[in-house]
Amino acid sequence: MNNINEVDFDICIVGSGAGASPVAYTMAKAGAKVLVLEKGPWLTEKEFFKDELAISIHDAYNPKLSEEQHVIEEEYEDEEGNSFWQGEATSDSGWTWWNGTVVGGSSNFMSGYFHRLKPIDFRLKTEFGAIDGANIADWPISYAELEPYYAMVEREIGVSGRVVEHPHQEPRSTDFPYPPISEVPMSSWIDKAAKKIGYHAVPVPRAVLSQPAMGRRSCEYSGYCSSYGCSSGAKGSGRAALLNHAVATGNCTIKPNAKVHKIATDAAGKITGVHYYDAQGRPKSVNAKTYVVACQAVETSRLLLASTGEKFPNGLANNSGQVGKNLLFSGGGTGSGDFIYDQLSEQQVKELKVVGPFVNRALQDWYQIDDKAFSGANAKGQAKGGTIDFLFHQNPIARARGTQWGVDSEGEDKLLWGEELKQSIKREFTSYKTLRFEVFNDWLPTDDCFVSLDDEVTDKWGDPVAKVRIGYHGHDLEVGEYLSLKAEKLLVALGATNISSSVSGYPATNLMAGGCRFGDDPKTSVLDKNCQAHEVDNLYVTDGSFMPTGGSVPYTFTIYANAFRVAEHIKQQWFNNRKIFSARGVNTPLHS
Amino acid sequence: MKSFFDKGYQTPLWFKEKEFAKKVLRQQMSRRNILKSAAGATGMLVLPALAIDSPIQKSLARSKQTDPWLTLDATLAHLLPTSATGPSAGDINALPYLYQVMTVQPTLPEEKEFIVKGVGWLNGFANSEYSKAFVLLSINEKELLLRGISRSRAGENWLNTLLNYIFEAMLTPPAYGGNPNGIGWQWLDHQAGFPLPEKGQRYFELPARGKAKVKRTAKNTIPLRNIEMKRSTKA
Repeated sequence: MNNINEVDFDICIVGSGAGASPVAYTMAKAGAKVLVLEKGPWLTEKEFFKDELAISIHDAYNPKLSEEQHVIEEEYEDEEGNSFWQGEATSDSGWTWWNGTVVGGSSNFMSGYFHRLKPIDFRLKTEFGAIDGANIADWPISYAELEPYYAMVEREIGVSGRVVEHPHQEPRSTDFPYPPISEVPMSSWIDKAAKKIGYHAVPVPRAVLSQPAMGRRSCEYSGYCSSYGCSSGAKGSGRAALLNHAVATGNCTIKPNAKVHKIATDAAGKITGVHYYDAQGRPKSVNAKTYVVACQAVETSRLLLASTGEKFPNGLANNSGQVGKNLLFSGGGTGSGDFIYDQLSEQQVKELKVVGPFVNRALQDWYQIDDKAFSGANAKGQAKGGTIDFLFHQNPIARARGTQWGVDSEGEDKLLWGEELKQSIKREFTSYKTLRFEVFNDWLPTDDCFVSLDDEVTDKWGDPVAKVRIGYHGHDLEVGEYLSLKAEKLLVALGATNISSSVSGYPATNLMAGGCRFGDDPKTSVLDKNCQAHEVDNLYVTDGSFMPTGGSVPYTFTIYANAFRVAEHIKQQWFNNRKIFSARGVNTPLHS
Repeated sequence: MKSFFDKGYQTPLWFKEKEFAKKVLRQQMSRRNILKSAAGATGMLVLPALAIDSPIQKSLARSKQTDPWLTLDATLAHLLPTSATGPSAGDINALPYLYQVMTVQPTLPEEKEFIVKGVGWLNGFANSEYSKAFVLLSINEKELLLRGISRSRAGENWLNTLLNYIFEAMLTPPAYGGNPNGIGWQWLDHQAGFPLPEKGQRYFELPARGKAKVKRTAKNTIPLRNIEMKRSTKA
C-alpha cells in the first residue's frame, strides 16, 4: 500500500479549522510530531481578495457540488397529512453545505463574533428543565472549567474587545488583550437608542486584531470582512493564528488536498491507520499514536460512520449508535430596517455612509428570558434566550440584483431596462442604507436532526456522502421570534423604516455543531469529558461535534476554547506516555 | 425549441439557482416548491458546436462583427443606453465582460447555449416582424421587440440573464473585464474593498483542489488484504 511508511507521527489530525488548529499548535509547540490532513488547498493571505464573484457568487473556496455534495432530508406531508422525510441532493438544489474547504477551514471566512457561552449554557436542562421532543442534556464540564481556555483563545487567536457592565455579563478572569477594532459612527446611534428604551448595547468582541501582533498585521478596514478571507492576517483563522506558528516549530506537517475517507481498525478495534487520497487521487495511509478528527460537525460524523471495522460495524466509536445524532445548528433569523437619506440631516447621512470600520454592537438582554408573557417559558416564566448582532452588508452585485424588477401600469411585474433601470439602480445604491440584525438562539437537539450516510449519492472519489436530516424544534422559532421583536424595537428607536424580520426553521449551514456529544455515559454520548471517544482510547474529536447543546452565540470561539482544553489533555497524555517509555528504557519511535 | 414563445419552455434549474429570479416570485415560492417544479424540467437541447467555442474567434474585436456578439452588443447597448444619467453598456465594458463570461470563466454550457440560442430567436423574431436583423432596427423597434419577447418566459429569462451580466460588468473587480477604473462603483457611490484580484487571481484561477482518479469500481475496491489472501491460498 502507498503508505507514508513509518509509524512516525505522534498525532494525526483530520481537518485544519478551529477544532483542529489548536491541537496542532499545542502539540507542535510541545515537541510532538504532528500531521494535519486537509481536504482543501493551502492558501495564504495572498490568495484572499475582496471579490464578490469568488466568495458569494461562485463559492470558489469550496468544492463544486457536482464533485462533493450532501443530501438534505426535509419533512413533507402526503395528501392524507402524514409526514415523511425526503432527501434532496445539493447538486440538484444548489444549496451548498460547504463553509470553506481550505487549510484553516471555515475559520478563514468567519465574521469572528467572539461571544463566550455563559454559565447557564452548560446546564440548560438543570436550569430550565426538559422540553418535550428535545434531547437536552447538561454538559459534563462547567463554564469555570472552560473559562481559562476562553482567555487563552483571546490571547493566542487575538480577540479585540471591551468589557462593559451588563446584566448577563459572564465571569471573566482577564480583560481583552487587544482594544476594540474601530467602529462606524452609527454604533453610537445604537448605544443612544438602546439606552433610551432600556436596552444594553454591548460591544462585540471580534477575532480581528486591532493592532499588529504575533507576526500578523492589524485590520486594514476594507469594509468587506465577514464571509471574506482576510488578506492582512488580522482575522484569527486557525491558519493565520495557529497553523503558521505550528509549522514554524518544524514539528507540524500540513498535507493539503488530502481527502481522508476512512479510519481503519483491526479486529481488536485498534486504529491501524488513516486512509486518504492525495492531490493526484492516489490512495495513501498514515499511522500515528493519537488521532484527532475535526472536519466540522457533519463531515466528522460522516467520516466516523464510514469508518467501519470488525469491532465497529456501525462506524468508528459508534457501538452506542450515537454518532451523527443530535446535530445542532443555530436557531434564530435575520431582520433589517432602512435609513432613508432624505429623512436625515446631512451630518447623519455622512455618518451613515462610513464604510470600513465595524458596527460591532450586540444585545444580550434576553440571553435568559424572564417573562411570563413568553409562551415558550417554563412554569417559572423562564426560558433560554439568545443574542442579537447588528451589521451592514456590503456586497454590491447582490444589492443590484432585484433592481431590474418594476411594476407596469396594470400592477404586473415587469423587467426594467434603459433609463428606468438606471434610475432604479441609482436609487437602490444612493437613497438609503439598511442596518441588519442576526438572532442567535439555541437549536434544540431532537431525534429529527442527524447525520447518516446516503445510500446512493457518492463524492468524486466514490465514497457515500453525508445525508443530513434537518428537523427543528418549534421552541426554537418561538425564542427566535421573541428576540426578533426585541431587535425590531431598537430599529424603531433608531428611526429606521421598512422594518422586518424573518425567523425560520431552515438551518444556517455555517453554524453547525453536535453529532458526537460528550458526556459521562457511554450509552448516550460518543465522547467523554475530554472529547476522547468512549470506545477508542487514542481517538479524539475536537471540532464542534462534542456539544450536547450549542448555546446562543456563534460556535467558533467555543470550538477554539474547547480544542485548546482538549489539546492540554492530549499533551499531558503524551508527556505521560513518554515518561513511561523512558522509564522502561524504550526509545519512542518518533524522535529516535 | 425555435423561439422565445415556445410553449414547451420551462425555466431551467441553473437559472433558478441564480439569485436574480423575480423577488416577488421568490417570496411566494418556498425553496421546496422551486425544487418540485424543477424536477419536471427537461434537459436543454444540444446545440451544434457553438461559435463561441471556435478557436478561430480569438479576439472580441473580430468576433463582434458577427453573431452572436453583434446582436448581443446591440442588445446590451439597448438595455443600458448612453445617457447623462449614468454609464452605458459601452462605458462599463458590458460586452467584453460577457465575452469573458462565455470564453474564459467556467460558465455552465447550458447557460452559454441559452444566451447564444436567444440571439437566434431574437433575430428570428426581428425578421418575422420587420424583415430585418435586430441590429438594423430603430431604437423604437428594438424596444417593441424586446418588450414583446419579455412577455414570454424564455424571453424574460434571456433578458434577465443579460441584465445580470450588466450588473456584474458594472460591479465586479476590473480584472474580470468590466467596470473599467471602477466606473460602476463611482457612479453608485460604492466603496470597493481591497485587495482586488488581478488577472491570474480571479475566482477560477485560485489553486486547484485535489483530484479524484477514475471513480472506483467494484474491481478496485477489493481490499488489498483479500487479494493477498487469495495468493497465499494458491501458494
